[in-house]
Amino acid sequence: MNTLSSITGPVVDVRAATKVYTTPGGDFPALREVDLHVSAGEFVAVVGRSGSGKTTLLNLLAGIDHPMSGEVWIGGTAVHTLGERHLAAWRGRVVGLVFQFFQLLPTLTVAENVMLPMDFCDTVPAKRRRTAAVELLERVGIGEQADKLPAALSGGQQQRAAIARALANDPPVVLADEPTGNLDSATAAAVLELFAELADAGKAVVMVTHERDLTGVAGRRVTLVDGRVDADVAVPA
Amino acid sequence: MRPRTVKLARDLWVARGRVTVMVVGIAVALSGVGALLIARSVISRESAAAYAATNPASATLDVEGGVDAALLSAVRARPRIVDATARQTIFTRVLVEGQWRRMLLFVIAPDDPLTIAGFRVESGAWPPPDDGLLIERAADTILHANTGDSLAVAGPTGATTSVRITGTVYDPALAPAAQERTGYGYLTPAALERLGFTPVADQLKITVGSGTVDRDQSTVDAVARDLSGWLTSNGQRVHQIQAPPFQHPHQRQTNAVTALFLAFAVAALILAGALVASTLGGMLAAQTRQIGVMKTVGATTGQLLRMYLSAAVGIAAVATVLAVGPGLMAGYGLVDLVGGLLNVDIADRSLPWWVPAGFIAAGLGIPVLVALVPILRAARITVRAALDDHGAGSRVGLRRSDRWLARLRGNRTVLMAVRNLMRRRSRLALTVVLLAAGGALFTGGLNAASAWRAWVDNGLDRRGYDAELELAQPAPADTLLAAVREVPGVTAVEPALSVAATPADAGGRIEVQRTYPDGGHGRFTLTGLPPGTGMLDLEILDGRWLRPGDHNGVVLNQAASTRLAGPAIGAEVGIAVDGQVSRWRVIGVVAEVGGPAIAYTTPDALAPITGADRVSAIRIRTTGDQQTVTDRVETAIAASGATVTSTMPTSELRNAIDGHIVIFVYVLVVLAALMATVGVLGLGSAMSITVIERTREYGIMQAIGATPRVVRRLVLTEGALTGAIGCFVAIALGIPLSALIGDLLGRLSFGLPLPLQVSVGGLATWLVLIIVGAVGATLTAAQRAAGLTIRETLSYQ
Repeated sequence: MNTLSSITGPVVDVRAATKVYTTPGGDFPALREVDLHVSAGEFVAVVGRSGSGKTTLLNLLAGIDHPMSGEVWIGGTAVHTLGERHLAAWRGRVVGLVFQFFQLLPTLTVAENVMLPMDFCDTVPAKRRRTAAVELLERVGIGEQADKLPAALSGGQQQRAAIARALANDPPVVLADEPTGNLDSATAAAVLELFAELADAGKAVVMVTHERDLTGVAGRRVTLVDGRVDADVAVPA
Repeated sequence: MRPRTVKLARDLWVARGRVTVMVVGIAVALSGVGALLIARSVISRESAAAYAATNPASATLDVEGGVDAALLSAVRARPRIVDATARQTIFTRVLVEGQWRRMLLFVIAPDDPLTIAGFRVESGAWPPPDDGLLIERAADTILHANTGDSLAVAGPTGATTSVRITGTVYDPALAPAAQERTGYGYLTPAALERLGFTPVADQLKITVGSGTVDRDQSTVDAVARDLSGWLTSNGQRVHQIQAPPFQHPHQRQTNAVTALFLAFAVAALILAGALVASTLGGMLAAQTRQIGVMKTVGATTGQLLRMYLSAAVGIAAVATVLAVGPGLMAGYGLVDLVGGLLNVDIADRSLPWWVPAGFIAAGLGIPVLVALVPILRAARITVRAALDDHGAGSRVGLRRSDRWLARLRGNRTVLMAVRNLMRRRSRLALTVVLLAAGGALFTGGLNAASAWRAWVDNGLDRRGYDAELELAQPAPADTLLAAVREVPGVTAVEPALSVAATPADAGGRIEVQRTYPDGGHGRFTLTGLPPGTGMLDLEILDGRWLRPGDHNGVVLNQAASTRLAGPAIGAEVGIAVDGQVSRWRVIGVVAEVGGPAIAYTTPDALAPITGADRVSAIRIRTTGDQQTVTDRVETAIAASGATVTSTMPTSELRNAIDGHIVIFVYVLVVLAALMATVGVLGLGSAMSITVIERTREYGIMQAIGATPRVVRRLVLTEGALTGAIGCFVAIALGIPLSALIGDLLGRLSFGLPLPLQVSVGGLATWLVLIIVGAVGATLTAAQRAAGLTIRETLSYQ
């Protein structure tokens, strides 16, 4: 695992991050001086209504977007200072991303989808990639689906495959954007359990969701309202 | 295999239809490039080699009274002369199946070593017997005779003598017989005497150099002039010096035309590259989100760039391999065709290294370079922009032009189609560019072909006579004209008096003529015509036509004007006849189709040189069977004591003109069709991408009540609108392009740009091609769009 063992303190460290979008209707402040600190082994659920800034925050954490002011540090790296060229390689090694619509590449088998990050980041020797991918798929409970194309899998299976892909390079941080939004409640619960297990295994997991009911498995709940942190509370087990 | 490679391979397989279109587009265009590279390299090399192998004379001096052995030895001993020989050339005619054909006899002494202006005997033996001759092998189509047959060759009195063909020779230094409409014969002085001519070896042929032959034109001219001066100082009169360029008579045209075609083929390949860029760009646009996802899992811009670039390289490589066979076939086919036209044997069919290198570089380089634009754009997209991509034109509605489009009213389907087209403007632009460039080259090619035909038709229509009969020697005009006027079937007759001439510079120095041994290419004449001639109505380019009383005025045709360095109207020019320079004032410049460089003047003005009341040719207008009437005219002329040396029906002149370049016009049309194919393929590809991109939209349309028919009509309307825009731009671009091609073709063939001619047939063909092509290319996409179920479309990601 990429443990980032040299880092002391929070793995995710957002300091007074502000993001404003310019739209035809005028400036829209998506985030206003948001602070967020997540340590290894924590499972944080970020909740809020539509437009509250959840996805923007996740994008800042993943280096997909940059704050207009403030800082974003992930595993000791000042992500807000990285250019696109360095971000891709950094992201592939440090951050595992899970999307609402799975975003598996349709022409690759499930195993090949998982092997893709290893290929791009060259983190696993070519000969071991297949074995590593199948192990990850078994870990998320779909090892037998390894050689199927994504279209042949159910929504829950596809999301598990997407989680396996997010873990391909053993990143210390897992970011999930509405990962259960496209799943039935039973499958959603199983996926959330999986995230909890990842946190237990030492990863910092940040999940964005607008479904407050699903945040029960997270250890902490951060509520965003109009781009500000309205509440940051521990969720009782 | 690496997952990214697997992904690429499967993505290409999924899009195999479009990949096939790209491969076919490149392969078709590249075949053209390959074919023309092959044709140009092999033909240029082989015709140059074949010409050089005859060891053509550097210069030929017409020496009055002939050159005897002693003089020849003295000439050989002169400085900077490598070798010398004396020959004779006779212009006569031959009766072929009842029709007269021009015949050129090359008279060579049996002991001539043939080290200058040689030829290869292909059948029979040199020298032929006294009652026989050898013919140039390509002359059989003109003479309709072969070895063993006899020819009825006219002598100086017009009476024919039967001469056996005892063999054939290969003489690639001559313009092909079929194109010149002239038979070439090779015989000894004894055989010539048998025909009634007096053998006089009055052509002194020399090769210039020191040890080896020097082909530098200025050196040759200087040595020839020097020799002419020496001969004159020794009491020999030199009538003219001929030093044609050291290349096949048609080499320059062939080089220029094949270069034009090569440019066309490269343009087609660039179009095919644009087709790849458009199609690949569409495929990448459809994969934008996937690119975003790959970036989120660690793919760098460089990795994606290499990945998609390898797809472009792969497509180009497959197309290059596929183009090898057709390129070779078409190339060598063209080599054989042009080689046959030039009467040049292709002794060596090997290709210089730069042909395969150029082929591969063009095949891989051009499409990949053009495709680099969309690939770079796709690979450099930010993750956020990629993940936010929601299909075609996500910025639609934000642009000022969108608001303007929204205000348009009219047919709903057309309005939607127009607005949809404007969503992906760069793709629309690329598709229009593809169609427009294809169309412009197509219509440009056809317009040039049409202009060529119109120019020749117009030029020949301006010749108000049906046949021209040249006399062996100038004869009294009045007697001859009176005799011809009496011939039944002759409706009009006019005299012409032509003398071989040479341009002279301001200092009175006679220009070395560039006339080839065939006596046609590079010829310059001074011709007297009645000022009010009803037989020739040439287009006046500058100044005016002849008037009675123009005693020292000349009207130059464009070729003569060029030879005299383009004098202004009113300028004085020097023209030498028989070595005597006379001064003339230029009063007009005319355009003339076919024939040599001619300076026209009045018979009166020519009288001091030729004698008064003389005629060297008769032009007749006939009614009824032209051949019968012409035969009667010849009889009448013979009865008057003159001899006809050649008869040229105007229709035969057309054959000669067409024979020079018509094949190139056809090749131009074929290349134009190739462009059109690439353009239509581009439209089909663009429409198929459009449908894929908007799959969800079609689902939504159907969900709110649109029938499959409405969806189909919408897609077809978009295709038709794109085709229409491309078509109009093509027509607009095609006109200046036509002018450009016409300029080049015209200058090559007539020394004047062809007039701009819009080929209505070409335009109509292009319109039909685009309409059918657009509908055909879009129909598949439209059917696919209409056939999608709502569930399929809405679940499309």
